[in-house]
Amino acid sequence: MSGLGGLDRPGTSTSPGARDARSNESLVTETDGPDPGEPGSAPATERRARRPAVDPVKTLMHRHRELCERAVDPLEIAAGLEAHGVTDRTAARFRHRDVFSLAEEMYARVPRDGDAPARTTPPSAPRVRADWAVLALLPGTLCAAAVTALRHAEGQARLIIAVVGVLAVAVVLRVALSRGPLRVADRAQRPTAAWTCGLIAYAALGDGLLRAALADGPDALPTGSPDGAWPLAAAGVLALALSCAPAAWCAHLFTARARRRLAASRGLEEYATSVQPLLLGTFALFLASLAALTALSGAALDETAAHPQVLTLGALLLLARLLGAHGFTHAPAAVLGAAATAEAVALASVFAARLPGCGFLATPVEALVTAWGPGAVPTLVCGTGALTLLIHSSRTLTRASAHATPDAPC
Amino acid sequence: MDNRPSRHPLVRIRSSRCESSGQRRLPLREIGGALVRIGLLTEGGYPYVSGDARLWCDRLVRGLGQHEFDVYALSRSERQEYEGWVSLPPQVRRVRTAPLWSAEDDGVVLGRSARRRFSERYGALASALCAGPDAQDGVSEGPSDDVADRFGNALYGLAELARDEGGLSGALRSETAVRALERACRAPGALRTAREARVPDLLTVAAHLERVLRPLSLDWYEDVGLGSVDLCHAASGGPAALPGLLARHFSGVPLLVTEYSVRLRSHYLATTDAPPPVRALLAAFHGRLAAEIYGRAEIVTPGNAHARRWQEHCGADRAKLRTVYPGMDASRFAEVGEAPERADPGTLVWVGRVEPAKDLVSLLHAFAEIRKEEPKTRLRIVGAPAGSEGAAYLGHCKALAAQLFPDEADGLHAVGDNPVSFEEIGGPELPSLADAYAAGAVAVLSSVVEGFPISLVEAMFCGRATVSTDVGAVVEVIGGTGLVVPPRNPRALAEACVALLRDPERRERLGAAARARALELFTVEQNIAAFHGIYLEIVARCPVRRVLLDETGEPLPFAVPAEAHVPGRWTGPATRLVARGGPGWAAGPPVRATPRVAAEGAR
Repeated sequence: MSGLGGLDRPGTSTSPGARDARSNESLVTETDGPDPGEPGSAPATERRARRPAVDPVKTLMHRHRELCERAVDPLEIAAGLEAHGVTDRTAARFRHRDVFSLAEEMYARVPRDGDAPARTTPPSAPRVRADWAVLALLPGTLCAAAVTALRHAEGQARLIIAVVGVLAVAVVLRVALSRGPLRVADRAQRPTAAWTCGLIAYAALGDGLLRAALADGPDALPTGSPDGAWPLAAAGVLALALSCAPAAWCAHLFTARARRRLAASRGLEEYATSVQPLLLGTFALFLASLAALTALSGAALDETAAHPQVLTLGALLLLARLLGAHGFTHAPAAVLGAAATAEAVALASVFAARLPGCGFLATPVEALVTAWGPGAVPTLVCGTGALTLLIHSSRTLTRASAHATPDAPC
Repeated sequence: MDNRPSRHPLVRIRSSRCESSGQRRLPLREIGGALVRIGLLTEGGYPYVSGDARLWCDRLVRGLGQHEFDVYALSRSERQEYEGWVSLPPQVRRVRTAPLWSAEDDGVVLGRSARRRFSERYGALASALCAGPDAQDGVSEGPSDDVADRFGNALYGLAELARDEGGLSGALRSETAVRALERACRAPGALRTAREARVPDLLTVAAHLERVLRPLSLDWYEDVGLGSVDLCHAASGGPAALPGLLARHFSGVPLLVTEYSVRLRSHYLATTDAPPPVRALLAAFHGRLAAEIYGRAEIVTPGNAHARRWQEHCGADRAKLRTVYPGMDASRFAEVGEAPERADPGTLVWVGRVEPAKDLVSLLHAFAEIRKEEPKTRLRIVGAPAGSEGAAYLGHCKALAAQLFPDEADGLHAVGDNPVSFEEIGGPELPSLADAYAAGAVAVLSSVVEGFPISLVEAMFCGRATVSTDVGAVVEVIGGTGLVVPPRNPRALAEACVALLRDPERRERLGAAARARALELFTVEQNIAAFHGIYLEIVARCPVRRVLLDETGEPLPFAVPAEAHVPGRWTGPATRLVARGGPGWAAGPPVRATPRVAAEGAR
């Protein structure tokens, strides 16, 4: 309350209008017994002679300048005046019936130039906090450690390392994504998490299984080596785990930039058109970093990097998570579910074709694999899903309501 | 009774009205009367421990044991829910709560046609908010009424939609809502300030509207909820009265609104740092909501003339307004009030919370003038500082007092003391509030800003002559029983105090008159009696006409007999309803409130 500072100096009012106004009234409203007189009348007349107040309301407006300039309607001025102790009896001194009509005059007399001063709203961009930025690196690190250990272990130890590694990466991934820009409300997470696990498992083992199945395998369980009968695509999984960090950073970049544009934009349409390139740019940035990571992990593990599958799956997962983080949980769950189901169906159809009389079931998958190799199935499935989500998010994530801060001041 | 708040937003507590004979309340406290089922609507108030005005509501509910209360409470923060409830008397049949703070999504997804209806109605609401002054203050009253009508229709339309669809909180935050707001702001004839709204402003307004309109999505308006009460009593205006408006719309339940501080005014004072378009739109919303509430309420009871003026200005019909002064517990001050001779004749006393608005500096300057006339006078300032600002102000005042008045002693060999003392209640010298007033001959109030001056009423209860500044509701409270001076005028304050100090007879006369006035106007009993009368009046004048239907959908004749409003239960309840974890006596066999007791009461 800026005005209350002035309360500390009673009787030494800074405003001539107040002094003059005060002298107009009898000092004691006597209600019982004789009038004690008007001791203040002599100095008051002296003051009035010295400074005649031509326009008392103008003086009052000057005193409550900030209030008048800020007010959006007369009642706001009335409330503010009353909070500063102006009553109807004070208003009577300004020749008004009550505070409301005084406030109306003040509101009407405030000079308002056509163009309001440009407000500089500080953009409430989410700050980069060390915790999630560093945590996002952990899944990749752990995954790299697990894969390295898997490479150097033999026999029984491999199984243990694989199980421990998968559990550790899953836990760390959950922790890393539970804060920062990719955080999704807990309630919406459950179905999506299962579908995501299915998709990642397919990325690791699905291609090998499909190839083995088409060659009437598999004859043994996967050994964890890239050159067995049922090979493990460790490079792809490692690249995906490593891409957690760029995903979080890209999401942060998108959120922060989108919010900054929000503060600057005047219309919803204008905002949507300005956010669209931002979304696409962020998406492309993530894809580029994922491609680099895939190449890197392929080179490190001496595997042929399975670029298309990893890129499409990464894109799908990023978009699903980004949508979820902005409150759109329905579409990602549906698309992830459809993708995981499609992959499972593709695998199942190959095995089902072994049943007598059902050979036709495997025809589409076989044709696909002979044309482009086993990686075509996940690429096609995840690519379709990612494209769907990209179109969806270019409509939903560009809405202003997707970027509303939950704790907006009222 | 289990009073802890539940995580579940809707809590039903059914307390049995069957008490053992020892604990049975007499169903009648007076001859005649009727049993009224009151839906008490609060927002951030009763029954929460930290609620506003919970004391008043508690006294009201306890004082009207012959009626039944259903409490419908909106909580304001998570902390408030965590802190729990006050203990509830047995006449509270049920408590239902809902949060106004959490951003919980109800998960309702609107279908295509519902979305279109929502868009239309929200758009109508938004355009009513953005309607500029041209539409508002036209030549005749017509356009203004038109805006109010549009607002009301849109509000009830949204409420109906929420009832059909099961919730609107997701839709109220959706892009549809923001787009409707934007369209309304950009429409020709919209408020000048609203036209400048940017996207973040629109989002803020949409979020705020969602929060305020959350009562629309509640399931309180069924026949077993607010549809079953005889009247709704909103303990404050604004969001608290919104369920009452909807209950009136859906079931025709009459609405009574009590405002001790005008909600619209506190809204204006609270939102000072938001951008102008946000403030303009929200002010328009709260203004229109207040007008709608005052227009639809059967009776509006302001707590003082100041609130009454605001309500009149916001469109309340004078015929509906009944000022009901807040009640205070007079028994604490009875002993002091009946013994005026206990007062120290040369002492002034100031009691209150220390904060800059109380203008203690002015009081100290006035006291300096008083000391020139009456050198033996002492001033006791009793009160605790309010917040850090208050603490700083208290320090400032203490320093000023030490500067203005040197310590003085009776003789050469006595230890000196300052004529101004700063004390707090609870110490050995002033164990209670009444003792603080008892210590002085004259109670002084020097505020520059004041709402309803409670300390002045307390001084009046104590039978002390008072000198107060002319602020807030002071003149209304004091009537002709004390001296009133302009604010920020230490000399006038000093003159009035000296006049009273020199005239013990007049002091006594004024004190006695003040006590009589306070006992007449500001006791709890008058407050409760006033509301009791208003309840009966509403029930008599505009009873809820309920048509009960049988299984085939035909109206049942005589389904609601006149006995439904007879105080007490004439028949034992058919089913036993016991509160969760209820007390042992509630598990006993049902006890009839026998007609014999009522007959005795009527004899």
